[in-house]
Amino acid sequence: MRLALRELRRRPGRFAVATVILTLIALLLMFLGGLLDGLLASSTGAYRAQEADLVVYSSEARDSLVRSRIDGDVRADVEGVEGVAAVGGLGSVQLGGRPGGDPGSKDLVATVLFGYELAPRGLPDVAPPQGTVVADAALQAEGVDAGTTLLLGPARTPVRVTGFVDDTRYSGQGSLWGSLGTWRAVTRANRPGEAVGDDVVQALVVRTEGAAGVPAAIDAATEGATDSLTVAGAIEALPGVSEQRATFNQIIGVTVVVALVVVALFFALITVERTALYGILKAIGASGPTLFVGVVTQAVVVTLLASAVGAGAAVSLDAAIPPGAIPFEATTGRLTSSVILLLVAAVAGCAFSLRRVLRVDPASAIGTGG
Amino acid sequence: MTDTPALRMDGVRKTYEVGDDEVVALDHADLTVGSDEIVALVGPSGSGKTTLCSIAGGLLSPTEGSVVLAGDDISRYSARQLTDVRRTRVGFVFQSVNLVPFLTAREKLVVVDELAGRKARRGDAGRRADQLLEELGLADRAGNTPAQLSGGQKQRVAIGRALMNEPALVLFDEPTSSLDSKLGEQVVELIREEMKSRGTAAVMVTHDDRITHIADRTVTIEDGHIAA
Amino acid sequence: MFLAVREMRRAVVRFGLLVLAIALLVFLILAQQALQEGLLTAFVGGIRNQSAPVLVYSVDGQRALQGSIIPPPLEEAVRRTDGVGEAARLGQSTFTVREPDGSLSDAAIVGADVAGLATPTALSSGARPEVAGEAVGSDADFDLRDEVTVPAAGPSAEPVTLTVVGLAADVQLNVTPTLFTDLATYEAAVRASNPDATEVLPNAIAVRPAPGVEVDELTERLSAASPEADALTRSEAADESPGVAQVRQSFQVIFLLYGLVVPLVTGLFFLIVTLQKSGALTLLRAMGARGSVLARSLLFQVVVIVGLGLVVGVALYASLTRVDLGFLTLRFDPTAVLVWSVLLMALGLGSALVAVRRVLRIDPVEATTGGGGG
Repeated sequence: MRLALRELRRRPGRFAVATVILTLIALLLMFLGGLLDGLLASSTGAYRAQEADLVVYSSEARDSLVRSRIDGDVRADVEGVEGVAAVGGLGSVQLGGRPGGDPGSKDLVATVLFGYELAPRGLPDVAPPQGTVVADAALQAEGVDAGTTLLLGPARTPVRVTGFVDDTRYSGQGSLWGSLGTWRAVTRANRPGEAVGDDVVQALVVRTEGAAGVPAAIDAATEGATDSLTVAGAIEALPGVSEQRATFNQIIGVTVVVALVVVALFFALITVERTALYGILKAIGASGPTLFVGVVTQAVVVTLLASAVGAGAAVSLDAAIPPGAIPFEATTGRLTSSVILLLVAAVAGCAFSLRRVLRVDPASAIGTGG
Repeated sequence: MTDTPALRMDGVRKTYEVGDDEVVALDHADLTVGSDEIVALVGPSGSGKTTLCSIAGGLLSPTEGSVVLAGDDISRYSARQLTDVRRTRVGFVFQSVNLVPFLTAREKLVVVDELAGRKARRGDAGRRADQLLEELGLADRAGNTPAQLSGGQKQRVAIGRALMNEPALVLFDEPTSSLDSKLGEQVVELIREEMKSRGTAAVMVTHDDRITHIADRTVTIEDGHIAA
Repeated sequence: MFLAVREMRRAVVRFGLLVLAIALLVFLILAQQALQEGLLTAFVGGIRNQSAPVLVYSVDGQRALQGSIIPPPLEEAVRRTDGVGEAARLGQSTFTVREPDGSLSDAAIVGADVAGLATPTALSSGARPEVAGEAVGSDADFDLRDEVTVPAAGPSAEPVTLTVVGLAADVQLNVTPTLFTDLATYEAAVRASNPDATEVLPNAIAVRPAPGVEVDELTERLSAASPEADALTRSEAADESPGVAQVRQSFQVIFLLYGLVVPLVTGLFFLIVTLQKSGALTLLRAMGARGSVLARSLLFQVVVIVGLGLVVGVALYASLTRVDLGFLTLRFDPTAVLVWSVLLMALGLGSALVAVRRVLRIDPVEATTGGGGG
């Protein structure tokens, strides 16, 4: 093993190109993963922040918030179900907001206004008073500050931002959190086609007492007027979430296979080159497994080095990308999982050389001119 | 030294399967090398001297016959046991003296120990390496890489490496083949000196007359048979 | 060439791994190119391939069709603008629809009140709608004579049924099955799904310039006509839809990285192979082989290996494009195949030049001085 490390130190040149290739692959993996994380984070934040167990849609909405409508009667049915601890209404409307206070401004911020009753993480238990909202911190990059009045939509309905909350974006847009009353008023003024009555909400968020059968009980109690999902299930049902995850994971998978093939190729070549050397080392008492451990050690070191540079590049890329350009996020978890995937690929790639290393005959060291 | 011979081969036979044919590389070879004896092994190429040397050093197992190395019969050892034998009991000096091109002289000596498993390592490898380098007149070259050493110095390093594990027997594979005659002479002298001063037995495969002169005994091998 | 072929035959595993690596990379690049194209088409194909050269959104819509609302004053301003030939009110929304077998699915419905404006430019089969309730559907999702119903969301609402009479390719919006119909049918659908709706306003105004008026000139005039107006050409409306630029940029970074990996892998491989056989090459040079012959033999190998990688990668890609992914169509794109093949072959050959230089530098004299030796 020390021999392998020494070779890396003394002859970095011969490992340089392989390291550069693996660095690019590491960066690719991290970029793909970070892109997926960024996309998902920016489309699911509002749901992930829910401190509830279930989301209840109307059954004809096909689990789409904007199409779902739940009226007071259905809500009363849901509240009556055993195991339901608390029920809150949820409504949303996507509108452009003008942060400057100038109604003629063409400089808009994409927002989605939520009306809530059961407070998600980081929001006041009682929703802010009519006409005021708590904004997602991502909107700060768009010129929204505490005290800013946003003019929403074509009606320029004013809402005043009183504070900020982290990580609650929805469908790629910064969210605003207010009362159901604020949401109804803003929707009526700006989206008459989506306007709802005073007892109507888009969905219900439900806190349960923990029983597993509650979603089915709710849907039974409403005679099929509702479709109840766990919060995790509702997140998966958000438009594009499961498709994005599946697509990116497949691309990441094939990229890992490429890393495996590159490592396999590189070390297979290096092993061929070392056949004579391995013969001599075996002749003086090195075992096949010891030599193979050396190969694996080199692959692991090269991979770690590539991962470190790749991670550094990913983090700088994250910092360099202006907010809103590419939804890329370099999280520790993603970087770590990419490194682990690469290490697995590297070790598996080395396995291609195992047979060759073990097969080298120590007797070849003598009589062949070494 | 003691009376136990460094090597004792009795009726050693080695055959290879080539297709359906059996090729006899070595046939009923008997050879005994005393505990501090230097034996030169000569013969035309293909005569079996490499095979004999490989069996003596635990690189190959004989098809028949017994091989006793410093009192232990190694003829039926497993590949794993033979690996241990090579690491602890035998020294090798190969034709190519440049064992691992990216190692310094001292590292070349210590690497033998490093290749052992953690448990099998000796604690004093560094000290022994320094001592050997000192004895071989290489103390001030310890940190040099092969590119910074002369041909003779490289040969000394190779001998030092072969002696690291205090072997009962050192095998030399054409030690002078890549050296000019003057340097060859010096190296041969050096080998004799080092072997005799330590009382270590040596077998040298060669076709170089200078070696046969310094050897205690010359064994000729032809067509797999030892012609005494 | 004889030597080059022999060598590859002898070391099938090594050369095979390289072919595999290149093939996988080619496959990844082409698959992702198809994915990008498929995604963009599924997102904005309905805008790209509709007949109105100009779309006027409200500034508030931020270039998202569904987010834009055109209040009457804005519509008036658009209609009054000089150079407007024809103008249609355009409504679009996504609905839950019921199929005849009772199952529910999603559909985007686009309605316009001028026949021939804001409808698919070309039909792949069937005919244009003639009466209310008829529609042209995206051909990836619908068949002729399919019927879908927007169910009534309450006792006061009336369900609306649409019949597919024509089909068009690449006209989806937001990765959703899409139907193009008249504005009245669209409005009825909105009221069916939300009886509380007070008023159904158009989402955009589709405009065809008057004869002799340039599209760019008209969009400028329209945008200036009202502070609420955001006039875009067809291609601007598609390219500047929210998310489209992000998808493009993200994929460009990915392509750049993959594009760098391919030549590096090829270059590294041939450099190592060349170093490994430098002894043999020296002997060949000593025997009288010209450096240029050896270099050509190496480049021949590069062409064969990269070529095989391309063939295998393209074959993988071709089989992927035959798989029905459901939510989007991955199409075999001969131009992409050609462009990437030429690019990757050129990059592969370029990267092998390092190895070629090494071959040309070999001095045949080394063979006689025992250069190997140790």
